[in-house]
Amino acid sequence: MASLITCPHCGVRPKEEFAIRGDASRGRPEPMDSDEAWHDYVYVRANPRGRTQEHWHHVAGCRRFLVVERDTATHEVYSVVDAAEFALRATR
Amino acid sequence: MVRDYNNRHALEQKLRSAPVAPAADHLMVGHWRTMALVLARADREEAVRRAIASQPDLSMRFAAPGEWLVVSEVEAPSGLVRRLEELCDGGAYVVDQSDGRVVFRITGPNVRSILAKGIGLDLHPATFTLGGSANVLCGHVPVNLARTDEDTFELIVPRSYAESLFDDLMRMGLAFDLTAAFSD
Amino acid sequence: MTGYRLSSGGLVDRSKTLSFTFDGRPLRGFAGDTLASALLANDQLLVGRSFKYHRPRGIVSAGPSEPNALVTIGSGARSDANTKATVAELYGGLTAKSQNRWPSLGFDVGAVNGALSPFLGAGFYYKTFMWPKQFWERVYEPFIRRAAGLGRAVLERDPESYEKSWAFCDLLVVGAGPAGLMAALTAGRAGLRVIVADEDFRLGGSLLSTSETIDGVPASVFADRAVAELQALPNVTLLSRTTVFGWYDDNVFGAVERVQKHVAEPSSKLVSERVWRIVAKRALLATGAEERPLVFGGNDRPGVMMAGAMTTYAERYGVSAGKQVAIFTSGSAGYRTARALAAKGVTIAAIVDARAEAVDQAPDGVRVIRSASVVDTKGRQRLKGIVIERSGFEELIACDALGMSGGFSPVVHLACQRGAKPVWSEELKAFIAPDVGGGLRPVGSANGVHTLSGCLSDGVDKAAKIAADLGFRAASDSAPVVDREETSSFTALWYVPGAKSKAFVDFQNDVHAKDLGLALREGFGHVEHAKRYTTNGMATDQGKLSNINAVGILAGMRGVSPADVGTTTFRPFYTPVSFGALAGTARDEHAAPARKSPLHGWAMKNGATFVEAGLWHRSAWFPRAGEKTWRDSVDREVLNVRANVGLCDVSTLGKIEVFGPDAAEFLNRLYCNPMLKLPVGKARYGLMLREDGFVFDDGTVSRLDEAHFFVTTTTAMAGPVMAHMEYCAQALWPALEVRFTSSTDQWAQMAIAGPKARAVLQQIVDGDISDGAFPFLSVRKIVLKSGVSARLFRISFSGELAFELAVPAGYGEAVADQIMEAGRPHDICAYGVEALNVLRLEKGLLTHAEFDGRVTPDDAGLGRMLSMQKTDFIGKRLSTRYGLTAADRMQLVGLKPVDADKDMRAGAHILKEGTKPSTLNDQGWVSSAGFSPVLGHAIALAFLKSGRERYGEKVVVFDKLRDQEIVAEVCDPVFVDPQNAKLKA
Repeated sequence: MASLITCPHCGVRPKEEFAIRGDASRGRPEPMDSDEAWHDYVYVRANPRGRTQEHWHHVAGCRRFLVVERDTATHEVYSVVDAAEFALRATR
Repeated sequence: MVRDYNNRHALEQKLRSAPVAPAADHLMVGHWRTMALVLARADREEAVRRAIASQPDLSMRFAAPGEWLVVSEVEAPSGLVRRLEELCDGGAYVVDQSDGRVVFRITGPNVRSILAKGIGLDLHPATFTLGGSANVLCGHVPVNLARTDEDTFELIVPRSYAESLFDDLMRMGLAFDLTAAFSD
Repeated sequence: MTGYRLSSGGLVDRSKTLSFTFDGRPLRGFAGDTLASALLANDQLLVGRSFKYHRPRGIVSAGPSEPNALVTIGSGARSDANTKATVAELYGGLTAKSQNRWPSLGFDVGAVNGALSPFLGAGFYYKTFMWPKQFWERVYEPFIRRAAGLGRAVLERDPESYEKSWAFCDLLVVGAGPAGLMAALTAGRAGLRVIVADEDFRLGGSLLSTSETIDGVPASVFADRAVAELQALPNVTLLSRTTVFGWYDDNVFGAVERVQKHVAEPSSKLVSERVWRIVAKRALLATGAEERPLVFGGNDRPGVMMAGAMTTYAERYGVSAGKQVAIFTSGSAGYRTARALAAKGVTIAAIVDARAEAVDQAPDGVRVIRSASVVDTKGRQRLKGIVIERSGFEELIACDALGMSGGFSPVVHLACQRGAKPVWSEELKAFIAPDVGGGLRPVGSANGVHTLSGCLSDGVDKAAKIAADLGFRAASDSAPVVDREETSSFTALWYVPGAKSKAFVDFQNDVHAKDLGLALREGFGHVEHAKRYTTNGMATDQGKLSNINAVGILAGMRGVSPADVGTTTFRPFYTPVSFGALAGTARDEHAAPARKSPLHGWAMKNGATFVEAGLWHRSAWFPRAGEKTWRDSVDREVLNVRANVGLCDVSTLGKIEVFGPDAAEFLNRLYCNPMLKLPVGKARYGLMLREDGFVFDDGTVSRLDEAHFFVTTTTAMAGPVMAHMEYCAQALWPALEVRFTSSTDQWAQMAIAGPKARAVLQQIVDGDISDGAFPFLSVRKIVLKSGVSARLFRISFSGELAFELAVPAGYGEAVADQIMEAGRPHDICAYGVEALNVLRLEKGLLTHAEFDGRVTPDDAGLGRMLSMQKTDFIGKRLSTRYGLTAADRMQLVGLKPVDADKDMRAGAHILKEGTKPSTLNDQGWVSSAGFSPVLGHAIALAFLKSGRERYGEKVVVFDKLRDQEIVAEVCDPVFVDPQNAKLKA
């Protein structure tokens, strides 16, 4: 795991300021989507080796949720963006 | 500014003893300080920022995108809230935090070494510049940190954590004989 | 071996004599000594017993790789076990004790293991102590632990203090030897922010133990000047006594500074050790190279040590390891030691060179025996002679010390701590640092550079390159000039054939060459397997001396290159770090911050007993004179609230201000019950679900304005609810215009509950608060008669007529005092969270004892709150699953004991009468229980299968933990005032 995360709002910060929520790659299904879609969304998690997108909450900083794209094997962080921006981009 | 003596400071118990002569490194606790959190509405962030920044007696501390803790040394809490609401002209929501936060001002030649024991932020003046501010973790306690002078920082802490942060800061400053007192 | 202090020389301060003791024996050394150099100077050769065979062992090295000289320093709570004498700085009054011997170092009963050694080979423990299984814990392990113990951990409380500190720099230089100092000077002069960390108490590294001169001055003088210049640079921080122990992601380094391990009486103002977390843009690994021991018969006898260590003891500490010193070498370093010692008047018995040819120069008159090897050593607790073998002929050479040198390995541990393995260099016959990118580069002898001049210029070059990379301009200084440069070369020699006795590879763990052969024969030839099988490299020194020879020996036996064997895995920590240092200040009451309510002072004045609830310190009950147990106080408080009135601090509830045109829509999606049409001036109980349909938290939502809501959460879930709301607003519904912030700390909030609550409150509140004007679930911003702005809520968590009054935190205590004063004629009392809990229990109101993450709204009897007409809310979709709506789910019920004297506890299980306790027969569980002073017997809330259909049934409350079984009657969970007549008074 990274020791430092570059928060787009606060700059470089130690990982202790963050809490990891989990997979950010899948959106919340629509209310009428299938049972399978909801089941997957709530319960099914991949545990990939390699690139992942995760929600990191900058708890002790700006309190924004961020989407951190990183590699679980090399620990390289590719990008950090605000979760709202990420979600709006996904719906567009 | 005059405030009701019935308003008790969070550190009244801790700092009750007679004031000490400040050492080179000194911690001042702002007895009465007014502050409010300003939450700018969507697309009004820049206008709100500019409106408040134009007021020389108001100090803006960055909290989050579109959110600032605005500190005043002259206004009373209700006055500050009213003034900010007028300044922002409907562009922001204003929440009084004067009783919810405690201000610590720490100053002296060793202040960076003291703060480095709790804060994982590079406090070199080239990196954390004069007037800069940020929400950070000091040990286990969330604080808003601001550089108000080359060797002076202000830490604004939620009231319920104030005693803990005070104890932590005094421990961090022990090697430098850090002293503490109410500032007014 | 006869160690003694040379008549002159060395960098110790001979004018400052320091007294210390070793195993109670008073000894003397000088300022600048390590414990090891002072012991050697006092001819204290035997310093420990080996781990397995309890063989007598002496000092081998002069640094952190030391496998033998582990001692306990200090006494009582301040003692430090397993301290390496070779790095322990000597101070006046130091007390050191040897370890792993009984009853004494000279006579050790455990040495019988040595006689049994044919049976104690590698894998012995695994094979022998396999069975019977139960013997392992009871018999074998205690025996092995006693026999093979290192130093003992202290059971007393550690009186020292510790701390952590962050540091940031452009360049971190690990190691202050020739390459490190030159790199620091180059970068420091160019203006980079530089941190130099070195584990020694004196900076200079190998410059302190060489006779070479630089720019015309002795190397140690050159080092002192460099250090002085660095000290004067404001952009350079020098950390001596600081070991960089780990390299972590994003070029963050962990280091431990021994702030005052070297003083007899530590200052209370300073910590004992400090852990640094150093964030470095670039780092240079100037950690030098480790000399390799030679694996020959009898190589562990006290008096056999590293040739380089002998040089260091002579040059730096003015101590000779012996009077008649022999050298066994496969390279030029052995000759260098011979020259250094000879120059100081020490007799060199012989130089035994494993090589056939060499150009190295021996001191005048010293016998050099080429193509020869040492095959055995003589003497018991100290070396008396060596047996050498040359062309099939053996010869005994008398000597009292033997210096061995098998070449050098760059110290590259840090570079390999993030997954990359060291790389074998056929040219250097050594494993070198892998290429791990620009963040961390080896320099000097850590980079395989063999000469002093090469190290100096490598330091300059690497630092200049980094300066340029970071946008600084380094002056184009050329490296200093070394006069009389020592040459350096060696032939790798992993194992010396013909050993007449045990040839040790790992001294600390007693692994000898044959053990590795056994490992290979038994199929454990992979380097990681061989390590576990033989324990080679697993001791406290982590194989700093032994690993490379083990790899070489395995390679030789398998007939492959060391490159094919590879190395074991490198991980932090480079050397052991104390738990105290790693914990820093986070221990005892500082392990977590304490949060105090604005009414804490009020509660103290009223005699509260406090309880920790998460980080909060909450008032639990308020004992009065004559009350013997907490129950006395709680019963009185409950009865007084039911009969009169009480005041309770509820400031710790989470409070969130929610704003925006979409605030109502946002809350409507967050809560399972409707919030959209909540009128201004009204409060509503709200239930939040998790997305899986189970209850997440409950609280109240008040609408203060069209676009301003005030949300409360439970104390425990204040943080998670805030994070959940942030997640929903930012990641799920970013298009909603809503903003919110916590105001938990801004408000002191108090519940005033009881039939007389209104009468009391009316005295301090302006305006009409009668039931007509301010009915149940009303909310209003008000001004108190004292002028304080406040918020008043007509909500109740006790079933009584109740108000919650919020005032700015600073006024909390004064307002609470005022209410107590106004309430005195009405017999007001302060009540704490215990009474609060009984009051809510009597009314069947729920907390997180019930909402434990497995409970749906319907389970809790709140199914009617689910607003399925709403298009969406968090948890809606999965609430409709069959499993969450099945009729035989556990449902909330009340329980009362059939025999009123009986007691119930939370956690008990419920059984049908006449059934045996089993998982199959389990009917449910008790979530909360307590004594109801109003009813005069115990009551409980429980979750029972199809419970709502079973009122009146008798069930068994089965509590195996307390061995209690009682019969209780299932009833409605509301025990008191089910019509809510009091609530709405």
